[in-house]
Amino acid sequence: MALLPENLSFSRKILPVIALIGLIFAAVFIWRGLPDRELAEPDKEPPRAQGELADSARVAGAGVVEPSSEIIDIGTALSGLVTDLRVQPGDYVEKGQPLFVVDDRAVRSRITEAGAAINEARAAIEEAQTARRTAQQQLQLYRQVEDAAAVSRAEVIRAEGDAAAANSRLKLAQARLSAAQASAGSARTELGRLTVRAPIAGEILAVNIRPGEFVSTMGGNSQPFIRMGQTRPLYIRVDIDEAEAPRIDLGKDAVVSPRGAADQQVKASFVRAEPLVVPKTSLTNSASERVDVRVLQVLYQLPAPAEGQNALFRVGQQIDAFIPAKQSGSSAQNGEGESPVKPASAPASNGAAQ
Amino acid sequence: MLTGDKQKFYGLLFGIAFSTLLITQQLTIFVNLIERGASGVYNVPTADVWVMDEVSRTTDVNFPMPATALDKVRGVAGVEWAVPHLRANASVRTQEGDLEGVGIVGVDDATLIGLPKNMIEGDINVLAQPDSVIIDDVGVTNLFENGQSPIGERLELNDQRAVIRGIGDSIPSFTSQVVLYTKYSQALRYVPGTRNRMTFVLVGASDGVSPDELTKRISEQTGLRARTRDEFAQDGVDFIIENTGIPVNFGITVVLGFIVGVAIVGLTFSLFIRDNIKQFGALKAIGVTNRKIAGMVAVQAGMVGMIGYGLGVLGTVGFISAFSGVPQFKGFYIPWQVPLVSFAAMVLIIALTGWVALRGVMKTEPAAVFR
Amino acid sequence: MSGGEIKTAISTRGVTRDFQAGQETIRVLHGIDLDVRAGELTYLVGESGSGKTTMISIMCGILWPTDGDVEVFGTDIYALSDNELVNFRLQNIGFIFQQYNLIPSIDAASNAAVPLIAQGMDRLEARKRAVAMLEKLNIADQADKLPNQLSGGQQQRVAIARALVHEPRLVVCDEPTAALDAKSGRRVMDLLREVGVAEDRSVIIVTHDNRIFDLADRILVLEDGRITHDGTDMPDDH
Repeated sequence: MALLPENLSFSRKILPVIALIGLIFAAVFIWRGLPDRELAEPDKEPPRAQGELADSARVAGAGVVEPSSEIIDIGTALSGLVTDLRVQPGDYVEKGQPLFVVDDRAVRSRITEAGAAINEARAAIEEAQTARRTAQQQLQLYRQVEDAAAVSRAEVIRAEGDAAAANSRLKLAQARLSAAQASAGSARTELGRLTVRAPIAGEILAVNIRPGEFVSTMGGNSQPFIRMGQTRPLYIRVDIDEAEAPRIDLGKDAVVSPRGAADQQVKASFVRAEPLVVPKTSLTNSASERVDVRVLQVLYQLPAPAEGQNALFRVGQQIDAFIPAKQSGSSAQNGEGESPVKPASAPASNGAAQ
Repeated sequence: MLTGDKQKFYGLLFGIAFSTLLITQQLTIFVNLIERGASGVYNVPTADVWVMDEVSRTTDVNFPMPATALDKVRGVAGVEWAVPHLRANASVRTQEGDLEGVGIVGVDDATLIGLPKNMIEGDINVLAQPDSVIIDDVGVTNLFENGQSPIGERLELNDQRAVIRGIGDSIPSFTSQVVLYTKYSQALRYVPGTRNRMTFVLVGASDGVSPDELTKRISEQTGLRARTRDEFAQDGVDFIIENTGIPVNFGITVVLGFIVGVAIVGLTFSLFIRDNIKQFGALKAIGVTNRKIAGMVAVQAGMVGMIGYGLGVLGTVGFISAFSGVPQFKGFYIPWQVPLVSFAAMVLIIALTGWVALRGVMKTEPAAVFR
Repeated sequence: MSGGEIKTAISTRGVTRDFQAGQETIRVLHGIDLDVRAGELTYLVGESGSGKTTMISIMCGILWPTDGDVEVFGTDIYALSDNELVNFRLQNIGFIFQQYNLIPSIDAASNAAVPLIAQGMDRLEARKRAVAMLEKLNIADQADKLPNQLSGGQQQRVAIARALVHEPRLVVCDEPTAALDAKSGRRVMDLLREVGVAEDRSVIIVTHDNRIFDLADRILVLEDGRITHDGTDMPDDH
């Protein structure tokens, strides 16, 4: 109806305009105030399966880099102070190469002692031989005298005793010689044991002793003295949840990337799966983690780094691995409906377990 | 015609504006409050899908999983990436020695996925420094009431040192709890140990795989509960609706707003009609049909309604923008649906009261004008 | 219009009207037969309670009679449907109410234009005609004012303009002079005669203002629901 006013008034002209402007303002405010809930791409590359693995059945696992020989914690046979350290971390040593030497002064003095004892024994042998000779000559002399009155019976008995005594002294001195010689041999062996040598060819990974430190055979040192292992090539040990384990296609290459450098992926070739399924060891840096998960450990060999390039992987580093899963129809590929054993909620269930 | 009587005009205007303000403002606060239940989800801008233990319900009501769950999820086809995510509560000792409950969020060490989108102060890479945590801005106001800068402050968490090195820009949780973001490995040290720690796995979907499809695959293959971002946000909202009296309280206020609107507007309308009954009678006698009278009143009521509604919405906008600086109101916004709801309520109020009032006019005998 | 010299504007036959008052039925009009001729200024005079308000309401089509027929310019108005009757009033009848009943929120010209706009005329055109009509009534200068800014006399003129703007054939006028002094009252009556009465148009005035009885062409007196006098002058007993 045409009954709206003609003349300007606050309530009829200005208020509606104010309200209209207010509404537009409110609409703009509301529109601009709507929260930003757009999904964003992550800034840093997270580990992801690539290539053929990207959209096919696969198993993922976390693992650690280790030497192909596994890590050897070098021990010592004898306790003592370290007097000489022959290697440093990063050295590549040959089998039998000395690593460090434990204080050998005590052993060396024992060798000297033994030498003195040998000399002493030898001198004693000489002396005993001389005495024996003298005694026998005297006895001979007495025996050649025909005249019974010329030599008393007592004289003869004393000479016979002297000869027997000299004989015994000689035997004793000979025994002392062998004892001293045995002692010298044993000290020499000990001297050899005080030098610790590389059991295999490999790389020194860690050296936790310094000259002057005491190494003990009884433990008590919190860390192994020297850690070494064969790093040509490196292996990785990947933990696979036991529930996932049957899905793995053993023998296929795995795609591996180090933590924090997910864009640098390499192919690692299969070595073996450990026959023993073990409780999962903590890779989460938590000291007191208790475990109820068991894992299958699978070893893969990393390719050698290209010449002149920095090594991408280092022993002890954590890695993320993607391993192809079995493609057979009974596997839980994509979890789709055809599988005869429907993967259910129980963690132990899986398609290949039948 | 309505504008002829200033008192009644402003009465109507006030009634409608007040009722619009009440409904819009209360609904806005209501929606924002219950959406606080989803803030944990919305603060993570990158994850398409959240994977959790079967019994976990929201970001705060969760049950941790064994660490190998991460690898199980990574093994699902269509998962572009998956990273661990830890959410737990801890107590922090401030320098003053006060005890304060905080939420610890552990984000993936390598990629830092799980941090809020923006930082107010500092850079996310400060987490690379040892013992670093990033505090959220609500935490700053809660923990540092005297306004000092929290950067560089030391806290004690589970006997461990934590140094604040950044302030994140995030929407506070329902309880406005202080949240400390740190690396996953660090978070494990800050939270008292239990057997399993990883509460969530955040998943990005491959191109071409919809999050819905992916959640189905993940739950089928791993037996874990997988929710898309939107579903999980809704879970958080539902949890608050189910476990608090908020919907009832706000519902009552909104109904009150509606009733006040109906009362004021209805009363003013009928007063107005009664005062003008002779004029209406005159119009009817002259030969203006009921329909035209109704149309006329409707146009004018609509006019008044629009003005009142505009002022009411403007009031709400003013309210929200005035309080946008208050930490408790951080991130409050007016969902576009709310003004539509209050608009519908306003139309209903006017239609209802106008119809009741006009019924009197319709029944008026034009002959009454001669008496 | 073709036909006899003097045409009938309104003709009522046997019009009765009952009102319900509680249990009782009160008969206000007792079978009134009456003809109002076109071209005349007709008074309907009666005391309060005589039934003259009821009669005029029935004559102009806003109150249904209990019995009887009413023809306005040959149309049996109570045979029309509701909508037709409303439209008939809009086209043919102009109203001037005692309290004017102008719409308070719109200005004088718009008030005067109401019937035209209700007929569906373009708003500007209607306003132009309304202003022209106000001009005729000498208050064109008040066209932009709201009713409450006008004096009583000015408001009445606006009301007259509203009644006449669409040139109805019948103008019904309720106590036009009640609130005016004698001089103004006579001027209003002159005005009404001038603009309202023509050969085929008729003005009915309900009044009991004896100061203006001499200006009538015809006076009908209603007493207790019956016509008691019909003539050019008032009977002496009034």
